[in-house]
Order: sequence, then C-alpha cells, then structure tokens
Amino acid sequence: MVEHVKPIQPTWCPGCGDFGVMAAVKKGVLELKIPSENLVLVGGIGCSGGIHNFMDGYGFHALHGRLLPTAIGVKLANPKLTVVAIGGDGDGYAIGMGHFVHALKKNTSITYIVMNNETYGLTKGQASPTSHVGFEGNVEPPVDAILTALSIPAAAFIARGFSGTPKEATALVTEALRFTQERKGFAFVEILSPCVTYNDTYDLWREKVEDVGKRPGYDKADRGKAFSTVLDVMHSGKIPVGEIYRTPDDQLYTSLDRTLLPNPAEAPATVDISVAANLARYEKMLASLE
Amino acid sequence: MSESVVAAHPEHASQTTPSQPPVARVLRDLSVLTGGQGGDGTLTVSDLLARYFHAQGMYVYNSRSVLSRIRGGYAAASSRASVEPTMAQKALQDVIVAFHQDAITFGEKTLSADGFILGDEKVVTNPGQNTVLLPISITAASKLGNPLYKNVIAFGALSVLMGMDREVARKVVEQRFGRRSEEARAKNLSAFDIGVELAAKSPGPKPRFSVERGTAKDQVLLTGNQALAYGFVVGGGRFFAGYPITPATPVMETLMKILPQYHGVVRQAEDELSAINMTLGAAYAGARAMTATSGPGFSLMTEALGHAGEAEIPVVITDCQRVGPSTGEPTRNEQSDLFHAVFASHGEFPRFVLAPGFPQDAYDIGIQALNLAEKWQLPIILLLDQALGENMQTTPRLTLKGVSVDRGKLLSQEALDALAAYKRYEFTKDGVSPRTIPGMKGGQSQVTGNEHDEWGHVSVNVENRKMMMAKRMTRLRLAKPDLPPPIIWGDEKARVGFIGFGCTFGPIREAQGLLKRKGISSRFYQARTLWPVPIETLAPFLSSVDVVFVVEHNFMGQFARLIRSFVTAHNIESIVKYDGSSFVAEEIAGHVEQMMKEHASYVPSKTPIVTYESEGGGF
Repeated sequence: MVEHVKPIQPTWCPGCGDFGVMAAVKKGVLELKIPSENLVLVGGIGCSGGIHNFMDGYGFHALHGRLLPTAIGVKLANPKLTVVAIGGDGDGYAIGMGHFVHALKKNTSITYIVMNNETYGLTKGQASPTSHVGFEGNVEPPVDAILTALSIPAAAFIARGFSGTPKEATALVTEALRFTQERKGFAFVEILSPCVTYNDTYDLWREKVEDVGKRPGYDKADRGKAFSTVLDVMHSGKIPVGEIYRTPDDQLYTSLDRTLLPNPAEAPATVDISVAANLARYEKMLASLE
Repeated sequence: MSESVVAAHPEHASQTTPSQPPVARVLRDLSVLTGGQGGDGTLTVSDLLARYFHAQGMYVYNSRSVLSRIRGGYAAASSRASVEPTMAQKALQDVIVAFHQDAITFGEKTLSADGFILGDEKVVTNPGQNTVLLPISITAASKLGNPLYKNVIAFGALSVLMGMDREVARKVVEQRFGRRSEEARAKNLSAFDIGVELAAKSPGPKPRFSVERGTAKDQVLLTGNQALAYGFVVGGGRFFAGYPITPATPVMETLMKILPQYHGVVRQAEDELSAINMTLGAAYAGARAMTATSGPGFSLMTEALGHAGEAEIPVVITDCQRVGPSTGEPTRNEQSDLFHAVFASHGEFPRFVLAPGFPQDAYDIGIQALNLAEKWQLPIILLLDQALGENMQTTPRLTLKGVSVDRGKLLSQEALDALAAYKRYEFTKDGVSPRTIPGMKGGQSQVTGNEHDEWGHVSVNVENRKMMMAKRMTRLRLAKPDLPPPIIWGDEKARVGFIGFGCTFGPIREAQGLLKRKGISSRFYQARTLWPVPIETLAPFLSSVDVVFVVEHNFMGQFARLIRSFVTAHNIESIVKYDGSSFVAEEIAGHVEQMMKEHASYVPSKTPIVTYESEGGGF
C-alpha cells in the first residue's frame, strides 16, 4: 500500500493527562474497528489539539475555537466518515463557546472531546473558562460545560470522564463513538485532563470525582434529574463524572446529517458532479427560469 | 494623478414644467420609480412592471433603494425598460408612483419634463405638477380588506395610463400571485381590475404615453446573486454555508431551494465564523463548497481565509459588497471592499479575486471559480456588489455550453494506489500537490494551518519555510493564463479608455454610447480578474489610449491605486462615487466631457509605461 503520513511522537509533557485521553480514543477506534482512512480527527489549537498528529487517520488542524464548525462541515459533506473533534477547554469554552452551543443544537453525528485542564497550558498557565476562583488571579467563577449542554434540548449524549481513571474514560469515548457511528447525533465527552506543568490536579481530582451513575435512583434518561444531580454533586464540592445524560433512542431528535442526507452514500463530497451525470436535471432547471 | 468626485445626479436639477398636459407619445426607453414607506411593497410594483416589459420583449433593469428595516423609512424601487439592451438605471424617471409624500418630495426632481406622477390620494399631501391622484389604498382596504393590495391596484392603473397591453399585464399578475393560492390569485386580479377602473375614470389624457414593443429574445429575469447560485450548482457546487446578511442573502435563499435536489447541503450557520469554517471542512472533505457574505461578514471570515491559503483548501468566498465600513449602509451600493478582498488576513498566501460585471458573467465566473479553486488549491474571492447582486435584469438564458468540471490534482483511488508515497504538500513544479479526500485508503494526511513539511507535519525549518512559501506563492504567477480575461468593449482605435469592474459595467457601456453620439469614441477594459493584477493585459490597454478613466464606487479609487502599484502610467484618472447610489451613464459621460474640456493638452501622444513584474519574492 502507498506510504502515507506517520504519526509522530506526542509533544505533550511526560505525565500529561492528554496521554490518557488519546489512549481512550485509540481503544475506542480499535474496539469499533473504524478504519483509519475513514477516521477524521479535527484538532483545535492548544496542547490537546495536536492529537491528530499523533494518531493514524485523516488529520485536520482547525483554527482556534473553530474545530466544531469545521468538523460539522466534514460530516455534512460525507456522513460515512467518523468525525472526531478534539480540543481543550480554552478552545471550546472561551473562543469557541458560541459554536459549542450551536453544535449541540445542530446535532450532527460527530464526537466532541474536550480535554479540560482548567488552564491555558500552551501559553503557559493563564486562567481558562473552567479555572476556579483564585487560580492565577482569576476572579470569575467558572463555566460548567455539562450544565450548558444539558440546557440545549437537542443535546442527547453528555458525559464527563477523568484521564486518571482510564477504563471509565475509554468506555465513555467508545460509547460516544458508537452513538455517532449509528448517526444518532452529537456526542459530547469532556475529559478532565490535568496539566502537570501548570495545573497538576491529579490527586485533587482523583479525590473529587463522583460517578453520578452510582447515586441511588440516578436515571441518565431524565434530563431534569441529571441537571439537579450534577448541581448537587457540585455543591457538595465534588466533580460529577460518568455518562451523565443520554436521550433514549425512541425520543431522539433526528440528527442533522440524517435529516439532510438520508442516504450517506449520496452526499456533497461523493455524489457525481459531472455535467453529464446531471445534464437532464440541469437543463430542466435552467429552462424553468423565466 | 487626479481624484475627483462626481456629485450625485449632476444633471437632474429640477425640470421646467410644461404648460400643456403631455400628449400620447411612444417611448422606447422608460423608467418608473415607485416610492413609499418600507413595507408598502414598492418592490412588488417594480417587479410586476419588469415582468410585463420582459413579456413585451424589452430589456429590463430594476434597481432598488431601500432602508435596512422591514417596515418604515422611505423605500424606492425603479424599473427601467428599453428597446435597446440596458444594464443601468435611467437618470430621469418617466413615471413616479407615490405611496407616500416622500416619493414626490425626494423623487420629483428626477421626473422627466413630460413625465407624470401617480399618487395615492390618502397619503399624498402636496401633489406635484402633472399628478394623477387616485384613492388607491382606501379602495384596497374597503373593497379587498387589505391596504397592501394597493400595489396591484397601482399596477392596474398604470396599465391604463401607460398604454399597456391589458391582457398581458393581467396575465403577469396572475402568474405572479397564482402560484401562492387561489385566494391570492383572485384577489390580486380583482385589485388589478379595480386599478384599471379607477384610472379609466380619472381626468386627463389616457394613456399618457404608450411604449414600443421590443424584440429581445430568449431572455430571462435574473439578479447577479441568483445567476451566481445557478452557476454554483451547474459548476458542481454541493455545499454552501452562510449567515443572513444584506445584500448577499439571496445567494443562500436561492441555493436552499435548489441544492437539496442534487444531494447538496445548504446550512445557515450561527455566524460567519462558523459559515466559513463549515465551508472549509466540507471543501477539505471533497465537496465543492462556497460561502457568501457582505463586508461585515467577510471581515469575520478573514482568519479562515488565511487558513484556506496555508492549508491549501479550495474554497470560494463571495463578498457581495455594500456601503462600509462597519455596519455602513446595508442596502446601498459600494465597491470599497476591493483592498480588503486583495489583502485581508495576516500573512502572505495566494488567492484570486474575481469580479463579474453582469448576471451572465456571475454565472460564468461562478462556474469557473469552482474549477480554479480545485485546480490551484486556494481560496477564491468573488467580488460582487449590491447593484449587481440585487438588481433584477434581463439576461440571455443561461446554458450549459462550455460548462465542465475540472478537479485538478484530486487523485482517484487507482491513481493513489499507484503511488509509492502520498504527501499532501509534496513539492511540485506548479506548486500544486496531489490531493486526496478522507475515505481514500492510503491518502491519510495532515492538513494544517501551521507551517508544515511535505507530509503536513509542523515545521519551522528555514529551508522548508522558503520552499513552502515559494510553492504557494508561485501559483499567483503560474495561474494567470487560467484566470478570467478582461473583455474589451468599444472601438479599437479609440483614444479614451475606461476601466471598471462589477456593477459599473452597465453605466460605463451606456456612457460609451452617449459619448460616441458626441463624437468621442472610447474603449472599456472590463476587469474580471482583479488579483493577481492582470498587468499583462492592463499595460497594453493603458498604452493603447491617451487617457484612462477608472470608474469605481469607493472613495480612494482603490482599483486605480492597485493598478498604479504595478505600472507606472501617467494617464490614469479616477471617477469615483461613494454616496451609496449607483452611477448613471450621464454622470460618467459628463465627467469625461468636462475633463476633456479642461485638459485640452491632456492627450499625450505617447504615454510611457513601465511595468514591474517581479516585486519581492517575484510573483
């Protein structure tokens, strides 16, 4: 087979949480037997966004904050592809927050993984949208993307994992990939991914994460319950993780790609655009002009 | 060098009023201005007139002047019909339809000496000379239950006053509204009949004039925006993302109706940042993709424009210009984004800026841009303007003659399999690398806005940087023979030249006719490629004439300055206009005449021209 670009060694610091996230993505891809030529990894700007360089597949390094529109464009051009957008919390919740909300609303079958380290690592440790008050002089209480996602009616797959518990993180990513493979819609997975250089929170987060699924009576199909449980956990000083919300299959909104392109084989990137193949319809269209 | 400004409508000073009422005469070229409050539906009257005169074999040019709000504010639209081909507004109106006093107050000074005004009795407080007042809106409300039927009532009245073919006019109404519902058809036809009746009972001569039938054949009514959308479809465009913005929105609206039939996707994004990045994603994935916007949206897209340049993604961006900067005048005409189109985004990368001059041209260049983008793997900016984009005009029926799809170096799976190695950014002689799209086995690659090596991996190696810059920039030079050539209009031996692009096409062509009648023959270089600046054709054109007037809608004379940055020519004059309204032929012709008078010596026998072909890195 033709030789193509080879993954390079990650540029992440030794011990970076992003290694755990990449391992989870690789295992999920393997588990679902996604061929690398069908895998499109759209990376954002920041340490995490370099991930496409370190894996086999089609990689696209998007502009800062714009990985979601880019990934949605890829998917709507060719819904047969498995599209994974991966970036950090600054990329996703600061400069890209508008797109995040609208990606949830647009509900295209792509997986969005945010590696949340609560800081801007690549630019050396400034406060990010998820930084707590007091971090590097931050005086603004953080955003919580899980709560944001829960508030968008079309959002159907919302999860949070922790790089320090790789087995659970892998399960969440795999489920998200499966969800999008089945064209059920947008899957959002935030993974807590400590920055060992500017915000080493491994020990703190190991202590604080609480799997909401283990709370008695938790029903991940109940959006209201999910919202109040997440708030409860946060108020108790913990960080809610797990498969937090999932719309039951019979209640899903149809994904955008399925609505626009019911047959994935006939899509903007793959349909025959030669004049010959379209001649009769073109002629009819032009003849209809008055 | 001189920059001069043409005042709006210099020759439109108020006309003397005839003492006798006008007698019936036959017009070959007429214009009807309809003015009222926004929301009055003035565009409907213009639209009906355009369809009627189109059906009568005339050439039609509709233009509008509305404020950027749905209701309220003075709004006017004009409809010109001529036996001769026309692509511009007429300086003087033959009829003014007034749904508001403002239409008379603002419009009367543009009424021709023997023109007349049709006014709505309810709202016209100060009728001008030669005004026919009819109870238009009151009758619409009392007989049809909605004052908005006044538009069709007015059209019915015009059919009497302008000596129109009643049956054809009635049919136009039926065709326009019949598609909506049976009720719309019936009520609008009643409105038409009411208008006929009201006018028939009015005092004064009927008709005031009649209009000669034209002989135009196989024409359709289109705006530049619509023509571009059709070009996009037949050129193989299958993905469009945009954000609503005046005056570019009709591109999206047109595509929404037709593209899904071809398994295409049209998406309204949450903002222009999303629109352009979705477009980049789709183009990267292998779809022919475009976005369309106006100045403010284009400003937001500039980072992604550079991304397309660095990552070598074929994409078409349409900027349908309006008055800027900032929010400017959203509904008014300007061509002041030229510098922005040519220089926008940080860093240096190749791009083409193309500018069609009329709807057919927008169709043709729209098709060509898709081929050029894929062949040269770079972003292309199509520069339209409000007048070209939104003004409806007769256009030869669009055809598929010569339409083809050239995907450049996009590899087939077989061609890819035959390679030893696939590198997305492989160095090649023409600077263009073979391209794969996701889904192709063995074509995996890294596509990035970082500087990169041939594989697409991030690189800051100095030798690599120089080679990559050369690889990208060399295309600006190599692609030149591929780019849309200018069209030279007029007399080959003329000593007076014009240069223009976009919506100035019609007014310049008409000005050439006016000047010719006064013994001044001229040549007109209609620029269709603006960047890279086509010095290979511009320099000989500049040398071939004594003086060249660069006509454009901006303050700085941007195109003239751009040309001067590539040639040393002493015979370039600017005619600019930046008041939001479009040139009419008389302004351009008048300006030229005056300049010729003032500078009798201004006809140098030989104009020395030096061209600079290789600045900087030498493109």
